Amino acid sequence: MANSVRLKKFQQVELADGRTVTVTDKLGEGGQGVVYRVKFDTGEEKALKWYFISYFKEPKKFYNHLAENIKAGAPSAAFIWPEQLTKWIDGESFGYIMDIFPAGYESFSKFLNAKVNFKSVKAMVNAALNIVSAFKSLHNKGYNYQDLNDGNFSINPATGKVLICDNDNVVGHGQYSGVLGKARYMAPEVVRGDKQPDKNTDRYSLAVILFMLLIGDHPLEGMKTNVPALTNKYDKRFFGTQPLFIYDKDNDSNAPVPGLHQNAVTFWKYFPSFIKDAFQQSFSQDSLLNIRGRLLEQDWFNILMRLKSSIVRCPQCGEEIFLESDRETGCSKAHKIKPVGYLNFTKRSNQAVTVPIFKDAVLYDYHVSGSEDFETVAAVIHEKPGKFGLENKSSKSWFVTAPSGQSATKQPGEILVLGLGTKIDFGNNNIATVVAN
Amino acid sequence: MVMLDKVQTVRRMCPVIFLLDTSGSMEGAPIGAVNSAIEGVLPELISMNDSNADNEIKVAIMSFDYGANWITGDELVSPEDLKSSWKDVYANGLTAMGAAFKELNQKLSASHGFMQRASGSVAPVLFLLSDGEPTDDYQSNLNTLKQNAWYKVAARVAIGYGESNDDVLREFTGNKETVLHTDNPEDLKKMIRFVAITSSRVASTGSSAVTPNNNPDDNTQNVAIAIQAQGGAPTPTLAPADPDDPF
Repeated sequence: MANSVRLKKFQQVELADGRTVTVTDKLGEGGQGVVYRVKFDTGEEKALKWYFISYFKEPKKFYNHLAENIKAGAPSAAFIWPEQLTKWIDGESFGYIMDIFPAGYESFSKFLNAKVNFKSVKAMVNAALNIVSAFKSLHNKGYNYQDLNDGNFSINPATGKVLICDNDNVVGHGQYSGVLGKARYMAPEVVRGDKQPDKNTDRYSLAVILFMLLIGDHPLEGMKTNVPALTNKYDKRFFGTQPLFIYDKDNDSNAPVPGLHQNAVTFWKYFPSFIKDAFQQSFSQDSLLNIRGRLLEQDWFNILMRLKSSIVRCPQCGEEIFLESDRETGCSKAHKIKPVGYLNFTKRSNQAVTVPIFKDAVLYDYHVSGSEDFETVAAVIHEKPGKFGLENKSSKSWFVTAPSGQSATKQPGEILVLGLGTKIDFGNNNIATVVAN
Repeated sequence: MVMLDKVQTVRRMCPVIFLLDTSGSMEGAPIGAVNSAIEGVLPELISMNDSNADNEIKVAIMSFDYGANWITGDELVSPEDLKSSWKDVYANGLTAMGAAFKELNQKLSASHGFMQRASGSVAPVLFLLSDGEPTDDYQSNLNTLKQNAWYKVAARVAIGYGESNDDVLREFTGNKETVLHTDNPEDLKKMIRFVAITSSRVASTGSSAVTPNNNPDDNTQNVAIAIQAQGGAPTPTLAPADPDDPF
C-alpha cells in the first residue's frame, strides 16, 4: 500500500501503532497538505492531516518532532492535538490523526470577514480569555506556537469557547520549526530577519490576534500602509523595519482611515482606558523595534478579566457597554455614564483589578478565590434607590469590615450593602475595598 | 448590540487573471473543458475568500482570438458575481496572443487599470491558456509586458493544449515548471482546475512554510514549488471519473 501525495476515497492508511484508518471524505486543503475524514473499523471518526512531503527538507525529523509532541500531550483541551502518526515509510508521505472539529465552531477568519459574529459581548471577551489561557498553558508546558495567525483558531460565537488547530509547528523553547509565520501576524523582529520565532514573538502575535478580535482591524494597518502594491518590500517595511501602531501615543501618522479601517474608527473609542493602554504598550515603538514591554499571557488575562467585569448596560438605552471603574464612559448613543465607585482588588501580576459598582456588574470565581475561572459567577451587584448591594452567589461566606472597625459575615445568598470604605475579605487573601468616585 | 456590529476587516486584493485562447482550433471538447473548468474553479475561489481575512481574490477573464476581449468587463469581479453571471465562451478565429499581452499590460496598472484598490493589492495570478502558435506579433508586446511591475511579481502560470507553442508559454511565465501541457480534453479540465486553484492559493495566502525559494516576491517560483509538492501535474487517468469528486 503505497502512500501517495493525495489519498483516495476508501484508501486505507496504517497508523504507527498498527491500527488502520479508512479515508471517507476530504475536509480541507492548505499549503502544507490535505485534511481527510477517516474512520476506524469501530466506526470512530477522526481527521487525518496528510502532508505534501516535498515541503520538508528533512521529513523524518519533522515526523519525529510530531512523535515527541504526541508523547508530551496537548497543553489543554483547547488544542486539537496530533494523536497518532501514520506509519513511517521511507520516501513516502505521512500524516497524523486528530479529533474532527465539533459543530458550532467557526474559523476566526470568518469573524474577521464578518461572515460570523459573536452572539454577545461576553462571548467575545470570553473568546479573548480562552485564547490567552490556551497560550498560557502552551507556554507553561515549555512549547511555543511559532505560527500564530487567524487561520489557527475556531471560536464558538455563542460561548466564546476556542479550539486551536494546526498545532504541528508547535515546538519546545529554543527549538525552531522552520516556519516563520504569516506576514501580518509575524513579530517585527522575525520579519526583519533578526530572530527566529520564540515565546516572545508568540506574544506579539497574540496581541495582534486580540486586537483583531476586539477592535476588528489590524494594529499596524493605517494611513501609511495604503500603497497599491503590497510586495515583500512593503510587507517588510510595514511589519518589520518601520512598523507603527495605528493608535501610537506619540505619532498619529498611521491613524486608521475612515471607511477603510472602519472597525477601528468605530470601536476603539468604546474600549476602556486600560485596554487602550495595554495595546499601546504592546505595539509601542519599544515593543515593535526593541522587543521590550510585551505583555505576558498572565497580564492579558488580568486585563481581560477587568474588561469582562466592566460589561454592563447603559441605563438609558440598554446597550451593552464597557464601563470604566473610575471615570465617565460614553455609550454609542452618547449617553454619559459614571459609576458611584468601584471594588478595588489587590493587583495581580501588577495589573489593577477593579469592578465598577453598577447594576448587574458581575464578579467571577476569579475575583473571590484567586482562580482563573472566568465563567462561574461569584457575586452580582444590585441597585436600589440610594444604595448598591453585592449578592454572595459563591459557596463561601465573606468577612466584611467597615472603616469604623465594625464587622460582619455574609453567607451565600446574602446581600451586602456596598458602603464607602467597606473591606470585603473573600477568603484566601482575596480582598476588595469599596472606593468612591 | 453596537459593540458587535463589526464590518469586514480590510483585505487586500488578489487579482486572478485568466487569458484564454478561444481560437477556432479550440472548438468542441477543448472549449467545453475550459468552460466547465472555470465553472468548477469559481466555488473553490469563493471558499478561499470566505476563509481568508488577509486577501480577497477578484477575477478577470480575457478571451483572445481575432483580438483580445475582457469577458468580465473593465473591472475585476468577485468570484460570487462571476459565478452567477458566467456564460460559456465559444471558439472562433485566430490566436492574437500579442493583442492579449498588450491588453493585459494596460490593465496591470493601479492608476487606470485593474489594480485600483484603496487597501492595495498583492501580486496577481496571470494564467495563460493556449492551443496554438500566436498569429500576431506577440514578441514585442510580451517584451513590453515584461517591464510591467505587476507582471514581474505575478504568479505566472500557463497551460498548453494540443498544438500549443510551449516555448512561448515558457517565455510568458519565465519559469518552465509553471507551464503544463496536455493533449486530452478531460485532462485539460483537471489541469486548469489544478493550476488555477494552486496558483490562487499561493498568491492569496502567501507562503508560511519555509520553502527553498529565497526570493519571496518570486511568486511564480512559489507556485512551482506548490505544484511540485502536490506531485506535479495531475496524472492522466483512463477511468471515467466523477468530475465533481475532489479526490
